[in-house]
Amino acid sequence: MTISGLGPHGERAAPPERVTLLPEDRAAAKARGFRVAVVLHTLQSDWAHQQLSGMVGTFGDCGTAVTHVIDCAFSPRAQVQALEELLAQKPDAVISLPVANEEVALAHARLADAGIKLVLLDNAPTGLLPGRHYGTLVSADNFGLGILAAEGLSAHLPQGAKVGLLGYAADFFATNERELAFTKWMRANRPDLSIHQDGFARIDDAADKTSALLAAHPDLAGLFVVWDTPALKAAEILHRLSLETPIATVDLGEEVAIGLAQGGPFAVIAAQQPFLQGVAAAQTTILTLLGHLTPAWIALPGISVTRDTVVESYQRIWRRPAPQSVLQAVGLIP
Amino acid sequence: MPQDLTATAAAARGKGRPRVADTAAPSLVELLNMIRAADTTTRQELERRSELGRAVVADRLTMLADLGLIDESELGAATGGRAPRLVQLAARRGRVLVATLDQTALGVGVADLAGNLLTEHHEEFEMNAPPDMLAERLTTLLRWSLDRQASPAGLWGISLSVPGTVPGTSGDFLTKTPPVVPAWEGFPLVELLTRSFGAPVWMRSSVDTMTMGELHAGAGQGLSSMLFVKIGRRIGAGIVSEGRLYRGAQGATGLIGTLPIHANDRSGTLDAMAGSDMILREGRLAAETGRSAFLADHLRRGGEITALDVAQAAQMGDEVCAEILTTAGRLIGQVVATLTNTLNPEVIVLSGSIVQTNDIILAAMREAVYGASHPLVTRDLRIIRSQMGSSAGLVGAARAGAELLFAPGFLKDWVMQGSPLSHPGFTAFRSGLDSTPPTPPSLPPPRRGAP
Repeated sequence: MTISGLGPHGERAAPPERVTLLPEDRAAAKARGFRVAVVLHTLQSDWAHQQLSGMVGTFGDCGTAVTHVIDCAFSPRAQVQALEELLAQKPDAVISLPVANEEVALAHARLADAGIKLVLLDNAPTGLLPGRHYGTLVSADNFGLGILAAEGLSAHLPQGAKVGLLGYAADFFATNERELAFTKWMRANRPDLSIHQDGFARIDDAADKTSALLAAHPDLAGLFVVWDTPALKAAEILHRLSLETPIATVDLGEEVAIGLAQGGPFAVIAAQQPFLQGVAAAQTTILTLLGHLTPAWIALPGISVTRDTVVESYQRIWRRPAPQSVLQAVGLIP
Repeated sequence: MPQDLTATAAAARGKGRPRVADTAAPSLVELLNMIRAADTTTRQELERRSELGRAVVADRLTMLADLGLIDESELGAATGGRAPRLVQLAARRGRVLVATLDQTALGVGVADLAGNLLTEHHEEFEMNAPPDMLAERLTTLLRWSLDRQASPAGLWGISLSVPGTVPGTSGDFLTKTPPVVPAWEGFPLVELLTRSFGAPVWMRSSVDTMTMGELHAGAGQGLSSMLFVKIGRRIGAGIVSEGRLYRGAQGATGLIGTLPIHANDRSGTLDAMAGSDMILREGRLAAETGRSAFLADHLRRGGEITALDVAQAAQMGDEVCAEILTTAGRLIGQVVATLTNTLNPEVIVLSGSIVQTNDIILAAMREAVYGASHPLVTRDLRIIRSQMGSSAGLVGAARAGAELLFAPGFLKDWVMQGSPLSHPGFTAFRSGLDSTPPTPPSLPPPRRGAP
């Protein structure tokens, strides 16, 4: 396993094998009957469904009840309110994906003060420390995902081309890492390219930002968008303008997989393994609740997906057969 | 809108009378640092502690508010009469860029003027790389961080945590680059950063900044004495006494890695006998000879052995690796025991990625320190691992930056202008830089458009 990035506090990554559950751990957890709440940024994405699926199944194996699943709709205010309500409910542990940095830091810190164990996904607000405010952060190797996207897109970019980067205009560990890694790899390996970037604060803004980027640079030869849902908005704009600009993005959502299988507009996907991340988060939570020391940062490597590997990658990541349209597009079924 | 009070003061001053800047500056410096130290206070409290008199305090606080340096918009709790107006530092008035330059990693962040870290990022970087590569990556990341914390607040300073001793304790901003690592010899890193960002630059050793980070946001919070030990290729100690970092006469404290030691018929410095280079060397040997099954398997699969692999193998039960780390822990513990008996700290905090990865060094050090110390010294002593990781260095650099910006000797020369960027010494330094051609390599331009 190669992990390219460092954790939010400069930690070296620990592999998910470090939180493997033994039969006696499952038995001990069953005997205790824990209650766990899950607070996600959204429940409207394939990524969230798979992450949740990995967690809930693992908790089921350990006799642990998932009592709350909360959709914060990317809103820091909604997340703070949800965490305040959970304080009163007093679950044994909370798994949370902090949707912002400073705005939600205190609300997460209060959980630790109240004796509720906290496991973070993807983002650690500045000032929160492992071992003190939370047990472990579980995430993909987001720096590695940015590198995979840059490597994959680079193959589609002619010498001296312009490449666009659509980042997330929020202080968010995962997307920050992808953006920084993409530009770092390009500067080091493709100094001939010029990168032109902008950021969207809401997913719905991604379309307008793409239009603005194309208006300023009509000759963009490629585009990197930091995750798939906004990348679909960018793809709509390119389609409307009859442009065949190749797109690289992160996460192999169903629509993105179809686009990749059809040969465009998606050229390469740097995919996370959300199901396994969900499993690792649940295992970490169980070990934390049982009083075991867990690593500060567990990272799972990304997978580079192209048209040639889309079917096998889809099955590997989503644990289900690829959609019919994907199978048809790659010629596996008529 | 903050004002430059030197202009209005000059107009109001009568012939032969002392300048307001001359008379007001010392009391402004005193009051501003009282407000900083207290976090939040009231006019009544400032009158009592400063002994300046109500009219003078009222006048100086009005001046500080006009300069945009304090905020009196919040009310405190009433204790009978009217609720008192709270006086706080206007911490969001300016930003401080911070960075940690370690042997194998680069960290950057943005802090407010109270030294609170607002954002951070860490990535791998080999400090042996040519200094122009370091300057380019550092500048790109600092510019990106500043963009991420976009606000009307200007940049007031840059505080760097560097992997070596920074000579001197004057607290002045740097006008040339100290040769902290050999590769920087003759390379104008400080000059490049000042020219690129237009703000004064300070440097502190990584052990100093990490100690300050632990003191203000980690295991040392609220303690008056602490010993911080960083274990990596080099081994260093940070000393906190009476709630403050002790920096000695030249800023060269805690260099325990250079102490000569003798063990198992071998002699060398503590760095060479117990640092991560020793762990790596012994781990590689154990892999090549097959004594460590775990590392031998790793090597057979094409993996390159690192000191962290040795630490992880030890944690997963490999006996040979555990012995390597135990040896390192015992040797470091013997030296730390001497310091412990000398300083009698409340807590010893161990830091470094190898310590972070496993419990074996911690256990061996505890055994050595408890075994060699006076019972009174160890009665309530705690020996723990840092929970802050590399964030300690960034938090400490942020704290150091804030302290240096508001150090009385520096503050008195800019307080009337309301910004350290107007400090006469700094403006003269910048003018000098602007009148000399920039030294290649050229640095990347601001982010939007071409990162």
